[in-house]
Amino acid sequence: MKHGRYPFILSFLALPVGLYAWLVILPFAQAFQISLTDWSGSSNSFDYIGFDNYVNLFKDERFVLPALRHTGIILVVLPVATIALGLFFAFMLNLGGRSRQGRIEGVAGSRFHKVVYFFPQVLSVAIVGILWKQVYAPENFGGLITGTLSAIGLPSPVNGFLADKRFVLAAVIGVLVWSAVGFYLVFFSSAMASIPRDIYEAAIIDGAGRFQMFFKITLPLLWDSVQTAWIYLSIVALDVFVLVYLMTPEQGGPDTASEVVGGVIWKYAFKHGEQAFASAIGVVLFFAALSLAVVSLRFGRREQIEY
Amino acid sequence: MRTTRPIFNRRNLLGATAAGLAASSLGACATSGSDDDAEEVTVGDDAENPFGVDPAAPLDVVIFDGGFGNEYAVAHQAIYNEAFPDAEITHLATQAIAETQQPRFAEGKPADVLDNSGAQQIPMDSLVSDGELAELTPLLDAPSYDDPSVTVRDTLRDGVLTSGTFNGEVYALNYVFSAWTVWYDAKLFRDQGWTPPTTWEEMLALCPVIKEAGIAPWTYAGQHPVYLYDLLLILAGRHGGVEVIKAIDELEPDAWRNESVVKAAEALAALYTEGYILEGTPGIDHIQSQTAFNERKAAFIPCGSWLPNEQASIAPADFEYMPMGVPPFEGSVQPGLISAGGDEPFVVPKNATNLAGAYEYLRIMLSKEGAQIFGDTVQAATIVKGVELDNPAAKATDALVSNPDDLFQPQFRFWYTKMNEEVRPALGSLLSGESTAAEFIDRMQTVADETAADDTIEKFHHED
Repeated sequence: MKHGRYPFILSFLALPVGLYAWLVILPFAQAFQISLTDWSGSSNSFDYIGFDNYVNLFKDERFVLPALRHTGIILVVLPVATIALGLFFAFMLNLGGRSRQGRIEGVAGSRFHKVVYFFPQVLSVAIVGILWKQVYAPENFGGLITGTLSAIGLPSPVNGFLADKRFVLAAVIGVLVWSAVGFYLVFFSSAMASIPRDIYEAAIIDGAGRFQMFFKITLPLLWDSVQTAWIYLSIVALDVFVLVYLMTPEQGGPDTASEVVGGVIWKYAFKHGEQAFASAIGVVLFFAALSLAVVSLRFGRREQIEY
Repeated sequence: MRTTRPIFNRRNLLGATAAGLAASSLGACATSGSDDDAEEVTVGDDAENPFGVDPAAPLDVVIFDGGFGNEYAVAHQAIYNEAFPDAEITHLATQAIAETQQPRFAEGKPADVLDNSGAQQIPMDSLVSDGELAELTPLLDAPSYDDPSVTVRDTLRDGVLTSGTFNGEVYALNYVFSAWTVWYDAKLFRDQGWTPPTTWEEMLALCPVIKEAGIAPWTYAGQHPVYLYDLLLILAGRHGGVEVIKAIDELEPDAWRNESVVKAAEALAALYTEGYILEGTPGIDHIQSQTAFNERKAAFIPCGSWLPNEQASIAPADFEYMPMGVPPFEGSVQPGLISAGGDEPFVVPKNATNLAGAYEYLRIMLSKEGAQIFGDTVQAATIVKGVELDNPAAKATDALVSNPDDLFQPQFRFWYTKMNEEVRPALGSLLSGESTAAEFIDRMQTVADETAADDTIEKFHHED
């Protein structure tokens, strides 16, 4: 029976592994190779220059360092804000309502809310970007938020949120959270549904309020889901390129105030003709993403609870 | 019992993969195209076919499908096919120039003729320094399509080759003739009884009057401050003479600190501080600013000479686009100076398969018929002399660029990507009140000095 087992298994694996090697591993390996050269991207000649690109990368006050800072900020703020809001909404929609005759339910109209919150998820990111660009526009040009702020007598940035260095990054993160929260609401809702109701009922009998129910029961039992969400959101945070490209002035402005790592790679590769330098940034990003995944999986581990 | 020996154990599987990867990444990767010695094109005696085109050789043309569309190119190709009926022409019209064409350069199999324009342009400085482009002197020295006794060079307007010239060698044929001007609506000015200002001081005096009519004096594409580049430099150049802005291109020490440049920067900053710019302008893009202008919310807008064509179907029917030069300061040394010349660079890659055909195609584009086709389809002038255009805005622009000594295109942002990346946000901050003129000058002088000191950046110079 054992005879011929390996050729059989290999014949199944050959195609996917081959495709993976060709389309994923090979380009990565090539990025490493290119990052050690001075290749411009539009020629077939180049010289190996060692690690110069990596050294220069951390001296680039113009693009790379601001981009690393901004991506770092997004990496912290986006998961925290999205998970906090997602958990809060999911808890309110599933368990947050008044308990009627001992039954635990969500707030009124929770089904309707779930659908509404999920809407942004079905919009393509290009539409989201164009939509929000208009929402953030200057008041003179039909900006929704600036217009509303002025209407109720509050100050608002005269050139809109995206042209203002102080607000542009926050504005981009706001859109990211807005478009992600619906998905995590549904994600956490389904996780909450698997927590047995009797635990909550026992807690209520013991006199626990909603606060205690959330922090003592829901959150600990959802830890695995939170961890998964964290990793997903971190990956999203490392690539905010599309929104920055679509919404912000000069794709990362004003004056680099919203530059992110993905956008800087694109700028160097295609606008500056410095493919090798762009590859070096890509390699750095690759290792950052890798260590992030390892760290969050290692340190996020907790005991599994079986119900 | 028979022991089975696995074909691959963990160790040799990894080894095999690594070896395979190493081999293929060295062999089959994007950076391994062949670099054959490219042939050269010479000018022969046959005026009909000076470059010795192989009539059966296919021709590969890539056109930037932007504001000018690609209809004109199809018509040019028809002329080529009249002369060489057997040549099969591949025509690609796209906006994604870098995405589609950069890999072809890297592979060593570029197109024959490439219209390297638009936001996705492959940076010219890197193409030139990498030696990827063919020099166009044979084309310019060849007999023109219409008259064998006149060379192609002599059929062109003055100064139009400058923007495609890198250290004295012509690498790009900038086909469209355009000028950077300030636009106003002649009807609005007539109705309100305003006289178009001839000096910066007159303009400043008119601004309060414009504001009283409920109109903002100025607007511009705030999200793309590069629209202010020529405004600033020409204002400075008019005041102190063209040498002032040439010095900036040449990265001369303290070129930015010249009093004319400082004066121009201060004047632009003052437009903001005086409240002469449409509120919200720094937050809008070129489309929004042009729409505001069409809606007569602003009186002046700085833009290129393509604007009226682009807006023809959008602007109100009674809107009369009129250009003027940047209003010069009183006492300006060279008040007629204007940024005008070739735009829309057509290049011929050095490794083009049909090099002779590419030169011949460009020669057809520069024929009277070829240029008139362009003028008729897009209502814009080409760099060929004597193309008839029948719209008033084009005629008025022609009058502004009539003196060849006054034509100059500031080049540093095309020569040095690093300075391009600095001047845009710096202009943005200057006109939105975020930085003062002094800060602007310091910032630009710093990047100019850094560029001058950096040996890894290839330096370019004006011819004279």
